[in-house]
Amino acid sequence: MKITINGKPCECEKGEYLLAVAERNGIHIPTLCHHAGLGDPGCCRVCIVEVEEKGRKRIVTACVYPVMRECSVETDSDKVREQRGIILELLRMRAPDSPEIAALCETYHAPKLERLRALDSGKCILCGLCVEACGSLGSGAINTMLRGTEKLVGTPYDEPSPDCVGCASCAEVCPTGHIVVTETADTRTIWGRTFDLVKCERCGAVLDTPEALAHAAKRAGQPVPVLCETCRRRYMTDEMAHTFGISVSD
Amino acid sequence: MKQTILVCCDTGCLANGALAVADALESEISAAGIDCRVERTVKRTGCHGFCEAGPLVRIQPDDVAYYRVKKTDANDIVRGLIENKPVQRLLYKDKNGATHTPRAAHPFYNKQNRVALRNVGEIDPHSLEDYLDRGGYEALKKALAMTPDEIMTEMEASGLRGRGGAGFPTGRKWRSAAGYDAFPKYVVCNGDEGDPGAFMDRSILEGDPHTVLEGMAVCALAVGAQEGYLYIRDEYDMAVHAVGNAIRQAEEAGFLGESMMGSGKPLKLRVVRGGGAFVCGESTALMASVEGRVGEPRAKYIRSVQRGLWDHPTVLNNVETWANVPVIINGGGAAFARLGTEGSKGTKVFSLVGKVKNTGLVEVPMGCTLRELIFDIGGGVAGGRPFKAVQTGGPSGGCIPESMLDLAVDFDTLTKYGAMMGSGGMIVMDDTSCMVEVARYYVNFLSEESCGKCTPCREGLRQMLTILTDICEGRGQEGDVELLERLGRTLQDSSLCALGKSAPNPVLTTIRYFRDEYDAHIREHRCPAGVCRKLTRFQIDADKCVGCSACLRACPAGAITGALKQPHAIDPSKCIACGSCRTACRFGAVTVSGRESK
Repeated sequence: MKITINGKPCECEKGEYLLAVAERNGIHIPTLCHHAGLGDPGCCRVCIVEVEEKGRKRIVTACVYPVMRECSVETDSDKVREQRGIILELLRMRAPDSPEIAALCETYHAPKLERLRALDSGKCILCGLCVEACGSLGSGAINTMLRGTEKLVGTPYDEPSPDCVGCASCAEVCPTGHIVVTETADTRTIWGRTFDLVKCERCGAVLDTPEALAHAAKRAGQPVPVLCETCRRRYMTDEMAHTFGISVSD
Repeated sequence: MKQTILVCCDTGCLANGALAVADALESEISAAGIDCRVERTVKRTGCHGFCEAGPLVRIQPDDVAYYRVKKTDANDIVRGLIENKPVQRLLYKDKNGATHTPRAAHPFYNKQNRVALRNVGEIDPHSLEDYLDRGGYEALKKALAMTPDEIMTEMEASGLRGRGGAGFPTGRKWRSAAGYDAFPKYVVCNGDEGDPGAFMDRSILEGDPHTVLEGMAVCALAVGAQEGYLYIRDEYDMAVHAVGNAIRQAEEAGFLGESMMGSGKPLKLRVVRGGGAFVCGESTALMASVEGRVGEPRAKYIRSVQRGLWDHPTVLNNVETWANVPVIINGGGAAFARLGTEGSKGTKVFSLVGKVKNTGLVEVPMGCTLRELIFDIGGGVAGGRPFKAVQTGGPSGGCIPESMLDLAVDFDTLTKYGAMMGSGGMIVMDDTSCMVEVARYYVNFLSEESCGKCTPCREGLRQMLTILTDICEGRGQEGDVELLERLGRTLQDSSLCALGKSAPNPVLTTIRYFRDEYDAHIREHRCPAGVCRKLTRFQIDADKCVGCSACLRACPAGAITGALKQPHAIDPSKCIACGSCRTACRFGAVTVSGRESK
């Protein structure tokens, strides 16, 4: 199938998401709630583009819009610029402390709407990637609470959750660095709980929390070696070398 | 001979003591003794529609209707039956004092055409026999003898469009669901009616639950579904009960369940109670809720007919849509299409509420004008004040001014003017409603009820609410209206679901048709309707005041002074601008001015 993005002809498969097609063709569309490893919630609306199909123009979100028929796409039309700008400005009001959002506002010339009221502080844009990450890893310790303008992300009743394994995947995927992880040499504190840290048996690098390793072992159905990624590769190489009788030089 | 006393036992009349009326009627009938020539029965039915004047009692076959019946009236009613003389004092009298018997001649009823509501108020919703007496499950029987294609052709010919608000052609929806080769498929009934002031779905579920089940069964045959869900909002306890009971009866009688009427085709229907979220009326949020997930919508670029409940093809229709299906199958699509307008066929149920004389549930052919609905059927504005606006289509509909009352009500016309027919809520407002405050009220409602998933809806509504609150409290600024319009346009185009896309409608339509009120609030710090307390001062016009002291007695702040038969006065330092004096005054002597004005 052929579509055009900003006038450039692009090849794509039927049903492929517009964002993927654009990226492959070197056309950048800004995103916040998009993460390659997680399902697309399509909620930040920063990736909006204008699609014209059969003479009808409309705004769609590129991350979840499947290309089903020939169309022409504008990623920077007047309408997209205006509405993306307003959306970014609205996000800046929600997350006034986030340098990421401020930078996006700068890049995409978001209007400075002084009349709008910003929250006192915060970096969270409620994209839900953290919830998605926590849920898909199987611990489900955090979720969104309440709805509408009151909505927030947290553990049940804002108390330290027994389900949290301290893996910090939530913080890893957060686009604005809202989730605070404090680490000392031996501990990690996240969502109000402090976990011990397990170190790599070979090199001593920080690996994960004992709870996270136990959770991974449970999911894998077998014990997980207490090794960091580098050492695990080396260990596997040694194992295979031994099995096949090859001598590996250091 | 058979005489049936139909007592409305739907929510409104129930609250006014309908059950006691029914009990009293029953004991009066047994006290009157057995008359072998006349069989008299009392039936507890669903909504008769004219909720304003409940509890309602109706005698069949004579079609005599009694209004505001109390249990003490039972004796007179039964005596009237025996003597064959209607009880004059319980008949409805219009403003000229005329009574209307039979009921069908009553101005509230004579323009109505009850299709979806055909059985509501006529049958006992807990009785399968009653439903069968009125041709129940005939459509299912007929559909079983038809091919799926024939059923869908009939539906397409009817031109029926979804009654939940979006107005998608029902036949086309079924056909696309039928086109996907997948198992299982689902049929879903959306009974999560959440619009303030709307209660047509509740009335159908409570008054005629079998109709909805039958409609769903016909669809299940057409698309090849074997399972279905009725998602009913949790607050509708009576509806949940009535539907649950109906499913049980239909399964026991072999209409539903393992084999529909012995055809070997199964259909298992289940009731799911909603969790109280307005957004769960949105189809994808509803399905998420049925699946046990948080009720949040998803992008609908792939439609539910392809990937709906548990990612399987799903036909979701509104209660009222389902209620129309048996009529179409029984009478044929072409007959159904004779009612209504070019683009909107059939009838539509409206709940007429607000400052209208005859509050209630009405069903009229599509294309009926707003004026007919509000002034002919609704009897005009209650309390004799001038009409100001009608809010159609629920919280995300629009406010329509008097100059547009001759618009035909159907899917396309109202949308063209920034409002929408929506699910059929119709809230009438008089000159004591402030349109800025109305917009603020709805935006507040929606900002609480938004799921909070997408940025424009969650953040946009939060900001719009602050600006509107500022305007209502005298902190409005030049440029606020333009900013509201700018935010509104972004919400319309960029929100994830229909809730966000239509959320700015109350704001945009009030700006479009009542811009002067916004300007009065912002520039003159004055609320012309006298609603926004911080911008309102009430005065008493000494020329009009007769000194009846009604306002003085009504004032909760003790701000009014004046001797009897002498003009009264309001002490502005004590006045809290609640407007009780204006409501109490029968001479129009209480006038409104701005707080800041001299």
